[in-house]
Amino acid sequence: MSETNARTTNLLRGAMAIGAVGVVAAYFQTGLERFWANWLLWFVLFFTVGLGSLFIVALEHLVGAKWSVPIRRIPERVATLLIPTVPIGLIALGALRVLYPGTRPEALQNKVLAGKAFWLGIPFFSARAIVCFALSLLALSIFVGGSLKQDKTRDPAFNVRARKFAPAFMALFALVITLVAFDWVSGLTPEWYSDIFGVYLFAGAFLAGLAATTLAVVGLQAQGRLDGVRGDHRYNLGGFMFAFTVFWSYIGFAQYMLMWYANLPDEVIYFKARLDGSWHVVTLVLAVTHFVLPFIALVSQGSKGEPQRLRRVATLMLGAHVLDIYWLIFPVLGRTPLFSWPEVSFALFFLGLGLLWVRGAMEKGEDMPVGDPFLAEGLEFRL
Amino acid sequence: MSEKTFAVLGLFESPDALMHAIPKVRDQKLGRLEAYTPYPIHGIDEALGFRRSPLGGMVMIMGVVGAVTALAFQYWISAIDYPIVTGGKPPYSWEAFVPIMFEVTVLFATFTAGLGMLLLLNRLPFFGHPVLTSRAIQGITRDRYALSIEADGMALDAAAARAALAAAGAADVEVLAEPDAVPFLTSDYVMRALGGIFAACVVAGLLMYAAIKVIPVMPPMVHMHEQPRLNPQAPSTFFRDGHGMQQPVAGTVSRGHLPIGAASQEEAALLANPLPRTAEVFAMGRKAFTNRCAVCHGALGTGVGSMTAAYGAKPANLQAQRFRDYADGQIYWVISMGKNAMPSHAADLTETQRWAVVHYVRTLQRAQNAGDQDMNAAGAR
Repeated sequence: MSETNARTTNLLRGAMAIGAVGVVAAYFQTGLERFWANWLLWFVLFFTVGLGSLFIVALEHLVGAKWSVPIRRIPERVATLLIPTVPIGLIALGALRVLYPGTRPEALQNKVLAGKAFWLGIPFFSARAIVCFALSLLALSIFVGGSLKQDKTRDPAFNVRARKFAPAFMALFALVITLVAFDWVSGLTPEWYSDIFGVYLFAGAFLAGLAATTLAVVGLQAQGRLDGVRGDHRYNLGGFMFAFTVFWSYIGFAQYMLMWYANLPDEVIYFKARLDGSWHVVTLVLAVTHFVLPFIALVSQGSKGEPQRLRRVATLMLGAHVLDIYWLIFPVLGRTPLFSWPEVSFALFFLGLGLLWVRGAMEKGEDMPVGDPFLAEGLEFRL
Repeated sequence: MSEKTFAVLGLFESPDALMHAIPKVRDQKLGRLEAYTPYPIHGIDEALGFRRSPLGGMVMIMGVVGAVTALAFQYWISAIDYPIVTGGKPPYSWEAFVPIMFEVTVLFATFTAGLGMLLLLNRLPFFGHPVLTSRAIQGITRDRYALSIEADGMALDAAAARAALAAAGAADVEVLAEPDAVPFLTSDYVMRALGGIFAACVVAGLLMYAAIKVIPVMPPMVHMHEQPRLNPQAPSTFFRDGHGMQQPVAGTVSRGHLPIGAASQEEAALLANPLPRTAEVFAMGRKAFTNRCAVCHGALGTGVGSMTAAYGAKPANLQAQRFRDYADGQIYWVISMGKNAMPSHAADLTETQRWAVVHYVRTLQRAQNAGDQDMNAAGAR
């Protein structure tokens, strides 16, 4: 490891330490609601980035894509973020009593919530969360663990096994990401529901996974690694990001427009909270950073494979994903968007943790799945 | 076949030979280069020096034009030409425009991409491409790789092109002549195409007419006519009494016809005149009085009108002390309900007009019985 790398690692450790102090202070100073909202934000971010990356890996196995074999190790490594996500998520169960109206005793007085009491209650909620964690780790061990093992064994049987598991994974993934969306995010406002909400979070998760993967690919290439990965591979990543930026906007706007048109009080209240006062500004910034800017940046043919452009767009995309989850969670805290030292501390701590984890993963083992029989074919890929 | 050369075709045995030949021939700038191969060869576009297709830019521009067109059109309809409030939304609601904008953007963009590629950039339709009838075509579709130098607007030096290709290592060289005039968009072709479209329209129209009217296998849209509904003068099984038309709900008040609010003339004395005493109200009262009342009561209300002799009854002298002592509401009652031989004027005068007449009658009474205080009031003005 070079000297700059070591310095960056120390920098990240320092950020994490400062952040940790802030996180502990926030627990005692800012009130439990704000503390848990922050914790939830970073838990959902870690979970969506990890699941989104795992989805990219599974998608390759499902459709038998060859072009992505040389870069498959990158989303595999990002997906290992699911491992620290599990303890973070188990701690996040502490937010249930504080942030989720469905778990409070008053909920039984509310006709709508009383009908959902079993579903929203702490025992079943926790059970679902634990099942989701277990399924995610299972899929991680099958896809990523198997792929790492194949580096040594060079056994093509793994490809057959992964391809057989991929369709089942897709069904499980749909279940898990929908439960994450409905339980952890939409559960904050249990009287409001939207059928498309799971797909909305999926679009964000896939984009976040793609952005993390693209950023890592471009970064590793700048270090002279990933020899053989060319503009054609990057072009596909850029194309995916471009397409799913539009997909995210399509889902997000469709959800908004139908509720805006119907104007039913129990539905439209969700957007009323997000279009009032300062939240209106946050909503506009989200639309610009999550759709307008990436769309313009990636629309031309040349820009989709250009490393510098991709690095900027992927960074913007990840930032927009943070803003997206913030936009989903924080309006339950009040009419003004909260952003101060607790949010900064949480960001320092979790960004440091996530980056250290992913950087550590990037240094371990081979950069490409050298045991995969389709690696050579993937390197031959041309548009 | 004309004498002009369309292209000179050089046939190569392997893709490598073709790729090596391209830069040698390209440097001589004899004409437009084109390659014909059985499968796509990576990097051949760059080697042939094709400039990047302008299609992307065309699609972008037309997509933006589509979005702006859809926005402008909907804005004009919904906010300017025919503003209708739908679902309680303001006439200009951009949210409602987005789906149409999206669709029109896609429509414009895809049509530009498809038609632009086929018609503008690929110069189709092009019937009878010379390469299809060349000797080389059998090899090109199997295991041979052709490089052709094609006339690009100007005349092609066939001898130089033949020499260049041979020098570049072509196994076989073939000269292709320009095809005869392309049989497309000649007047004959256009007339036949238009005639065919016209005939198809006539046949479709006649079939449609027959299906609707002659042999009604496909009735026209009759949902409006056949909908379940209540007819006012027809029996109906919907209501218990078997009538289609029902009595209004008890206590219903028709528009502009409020009940008087008093059961007798004495009770009506309590009603107050709701109208202010303004010049407009007096003018309204005078007009109504002249049209409806003066004919019997006379222009001054003295009971001597032009109809008095013919009518037979004796109209009231409104200047009499008895009527000057009436309350406003009592005069209103008489106008509305009638009295003795006087009929009701409720059907002829609106409530506002009746109250205005009351004001005017008061004015007539005061004018005919003016005292000193009235003179002073007039003098003080």
